[in-house]
Formats: sequence, C-alpha cells, structure tokens
Amino acid sequence: MVTCSHCQAQQLDGTIFCTVCGASLLSAKPQRQTTASLNRAAAETAQAEVDEATILPAPTPAPETNTIALIVLSSGRRIVLPVTPELLIGRKDQQRNFFPDVDLSLDGGYDAGVSRQHARIICRDGSYLLEDLGSSNGTFLNRQRIAPRRPVELHHGDEIQLGMLLVRFEMNG
Amino acid sequence: MSKVDLRITPSRSVLPASQEPQLLYALIELSAQSGATKMPRLPLNLCLVIDRSSSMRGERLQQVKQAAMQILDLLGDHESFALVTFNDRAEVVVPAQLARARAEIKRQISAIEAAGGTEMATGLALGVQELQRAMMPRAIHRLLLLTDGRTYGDEGRCVEIARRAQARGIGITALGIGSEWNEDLLETIAARENSRTHYITSAAEITKIFTAEVERMHNIFAQDVQLRVTLPPQGLLRSLDRVRPYIGSLPIIEEADFAWTAALGDWPESDAQALLMEIVVPPLPVGRHTMLRLQLRYRVPGSEGTTANHEQSLVVGVRNPDEVASEVDPTVKHWLERLVAYRLQASAWQAAEEGKLEEATRRLQMAGTRLFEAGEIELARTVQEEATRLLRSGQASAEGRKRIKYGTRGLIGREEQS
Repeated sequence: MVTCSHCQAQQLDGTIFCTVCGASLLSAKPQRQTTASLNRAAAETAQAEVDEATILPAPTPAPETNTIALIVLSSGRRIVLPVTPELLIGRKDQQRNFFPDVDLSLDGGYDAGVSRQHARIICRDGSYLLEDLGSSNGTFLNRQRIAPRRPVELHHGDEIQLGMLLVRFEMNG
Repeated sequence: MSKVDLRITPSRSVLPASQEPQLLYALIELSAQSGATKMPRLPLNLCLVIDRSSSMRGERLQQVKQAAMQILDLLGDHESFALVTFNDRAEVVVPAQLARARAEIKRQISAIEAAGGTEMATGLALGVQELQRAMMPRAIHRLLLLTDGRTYGDEGRCVEIARRAQARGIGITALGIGSEWNEDLLETIAARENSRTHYITSAAEITKIFTAEVERMHNIFAQDVQLRVTLPPQGLLRSLDRVRPYIGSLPIIEEADFAWTAALGDWPESDAQALLMEIVVPPLPVGRHTMLRLQLRYRVPGSEGTTANHEQSLVVGVRNPDEVASEVDPTVKHWLERLVAYRLQASAWQAAEEGKLEEATRRLQMAGTRLFEAGEIELARTVQEEATRLLRSGQASAEGRKRIKYGTRGLIGREEQS
C-alpha cells in the first residue's frame, strides 16, 4: 500500500492518481521544492522571469533545526521555509518590486484570489502565529475565517486557506 | 472485410513481485482498417427532433434549418428522413419518408418558425413514432435531438421515452446549445451505449456537428460490440472507462469467475476508440504472466447474424522489486490524467449540490491541476475560474459548468481528432 501525501488515503501499490483526492502519487517520493517544477503550464504562461527570489532554499536539515513547510494542496508543491521571526505570504508584483517570502503566483494565486500581501506567519518563542494582513478575499484557518490583523496560533497539520488556495502547514523537527 | 486492431498498453510492463495486490492500468486501443473493399453501408433511418421555442429565434434556428437541409442531401434515396419540432406542443413537420421529394421537404423545413416554450417529452415521443413508422428492418435508427432550453415537469417522461426507444435499437444523439439547457437530463437520456450527448457552444457549429454525426452513422462497421475481459485467478477488474473518442464510464458485469463483459454499442469506423481499465493484480510469483485476455465480438452490419471475433492478450513480467523501474507509460498516464479530471469535476458538482462548497472547490482545483498537466491549458483555466466563482458566490456559472462537464469528456464543439 502507498499513502497519498495529499489526503493520507491508503492506495494500492501501482496507483498513479489517488482515487480519493486525485493527487499524483508519482511525485510523492521526490518532493518538489521549486516553483519551476510545480506546474509547467502555469510556468510557461508566466514565462521568462524565473523567480528565484520567491523560494527560500531549504536549510540543510541539522537534526535540531526547526523548519516549517507549507504544502500547496492543488499542486502538491512543498515550500520548505527557514524559521525566521516573520514570513510574508502573498503574490509577487514585479512592477512594484514586491517579493513576498512565499510567492503563490505560480500556484494559481491570482485566480485563487491571493492578495499581494495576504498574510504572514510569525514565529514567537517556538510557536507560530498566522495573521491576515487585510487581504481582499480573506484567510481561513481550518475553514474558519480569521479576523484581519489578529494573529492566531498555528499547529502542525493546520489547513490554511488564502482566498481560495488551500495550503497545509507542517512543522518538522 | 474490415480488420480490427486491438492494442493493449499497460501502465507498467514489468511488475515488482509483492505479497500485496497491486494496481495495473491498461489502455486498450481499438482501430478499424477497412481494406480496399468498402463495407456495404446500412441505410439510415433518421429523425431530427428540434426545439423551436422562442429562444431559438434568429441564427440558431437558421443554422438548424440549414443543417437539416444539408443532412437531407447527405442521405441516399433509400434512406428515411423525418423532422419533428416542439415548443409548448410538438408537431411532425416532415413525416418519415424516403429522402426523395427533396425540394418539397426543404420547403417544409424552411417554413419552421420559432415561438413558445419548451416541452420536450412530446417532441421525443413523436420523433420515436416517426422512426418506427419508417419500418426499415435493417437500418441504423437514429434520433437527433437539439434543444437550447429547459423542459419543466416532463423530464421523467423524456427519460422513459428514450429508454424505450433505445431498447428497440434507436440511438439518440442529444445536442445542447447555449447555456440554459439541462445537461443532467440530456446526459441521462443519452446514457446508453448507442447514444451520446454533445455541447454546441455556438450556432455556427450546428451544421458541422449535425452532418458529422450523420457521417458517423453512415460508416458504422460493427454493431453491438461486446468486450470480454478475463483476468488471472483472484484478479479484479476495478473499473472500465471509455477515453476516446470521448470519456465516459462503461458498466461492467462479472459474468463468470474473473471474467467481465461490457457493451460498447455501435462503432463508426471513423472513431478511434480507446478504453482504460484498472486491474487489481493478485500477488504473483516472479515470472511471466498472462495478465489480461480480451475478446471483442460484434455483429457485421447488413449480414444475417454474422458475428466477428478478435482476441488479444497481455503478458507482463513479474520480477524482483529492485530490478523494477518505477516508470509508467506516458500515454496511459495521459489518458488516466484526463479521466481523473473528468471524475473529479463530476464529484465536484455532486459535492456542490450537497452544499459542500469547499470540498467541491478542492475537487475542481485538483481537476484543474490534472488538466494542466495533461496539457489542457484552456480548460484548466476555465476550471480554475469556476472554482473561484463557486467558492465566492456559492454557484458556478451555467456556461462554465457545461464547458467543464463536456470539455473534460472531450465533447465540446470540435470533432474528435482521429
């Protein structure tokens, strides 16, 4: 049996797409870590500009180092993030020279209603908080809309929804 | 005599030996090669059932009339033509007759005018009646239904009439135009192997789609196609779907131990057919195994009960797990990806109907991802837009929903590529 990394359903060996959620089980092993690989089509339309600024390189995982990760459910992209006091989530805007720490533009962020400055993750004393930055389409934590500018605590496995884009929050280490 | 080519492509040609059952996908491609000798074609017994409610006024009806006349010209002198219109009531405009008095028939067609509402059942009933009146024992019987609106209150009757007709060998092509018609009803009407639906996005396509459908009916070279699938002991056929020329599930019946049958209906020679099956393979020892045996059986049109048979088997190697690469066949993956997108959108609409909007949105988004990866960029965009709309307003647009439903199946406007 294999476990779908997206919805955790048990699937028969040899399954190509999860019968429960439709996610690809082929890419389950090598986790995608760059925007470029996530969905070729979107990347092609966005063309040219390879945005290296958006994905922070995954830290070399020293066992005692904490890392957090955001998994974009629709694309399966796993964004591994270093622990810093604050991580801005949104959509890049090259004209205004605006680059958030986590850029969701290639995950269909625009269509999904992700604002340029949508939300941030704050790390304080080893715990994590999610704050909506007054986004147009709201931020939801485990399906509950959170009030803007009111940080709420995040836990491993929480489901964050930015506009319409679903992302799972994971803590490792 | 035509020749049939049966090709089986497994998702993996070598399987790892395992104590657990594993899943294998197999793509079955059927193609027909008519030799130098053209098959004698069966005469067509055709009835057009046309919605002439007021919303059809203008270009739509104009196009329909033109299409009807072109179809008439495609028919031979021994073929039968009839035309029924419906709005609040139904009317036989051209009674079933051999396609001979063409000028007179065309005059009758050109006099059709649009007015009134949409009541489909009576129109269907009259159409079926005309087809039966033609009394052609050996013919392809086809009813072409075109509507642009919803019929209210007589949906159940429509389905009953369709089922009765289909049981008597009358195939139905249900065509919807615009964004107002009821796709659930049309799909239910056409949910038989000798029927199908199509979504016409603009009036300009009417003639092309009508005539293409008549041409398909003209080159049916196999009737009542039956497929029989035999698996090794303890094997299981989990699902069977058609993926070409359009996507749709095929009901399977377990007829004997480890043997399943499916009815594929009539087969126009121009259609390249492909089916995708999911096979649960039992634990097998290292070695070569016959994983699948296919038997295809059909009636040869125009012959007295002559049937033809074709057989093909798939042999797959089972090896030590560390000798097995994890690659999957790209063609199988491509069609599976499209099939998964189709299934996801279908379950999304169901979730939306049950009020589970987030579930529906998630499924649509995943359908979008699958379509992107399958190279269906434009359709993937439409899916993404509707997912956004659904989550924000609680409702998808009627047009977007149709585009997605028919687009994922490969049933929009453009004719199947061969």
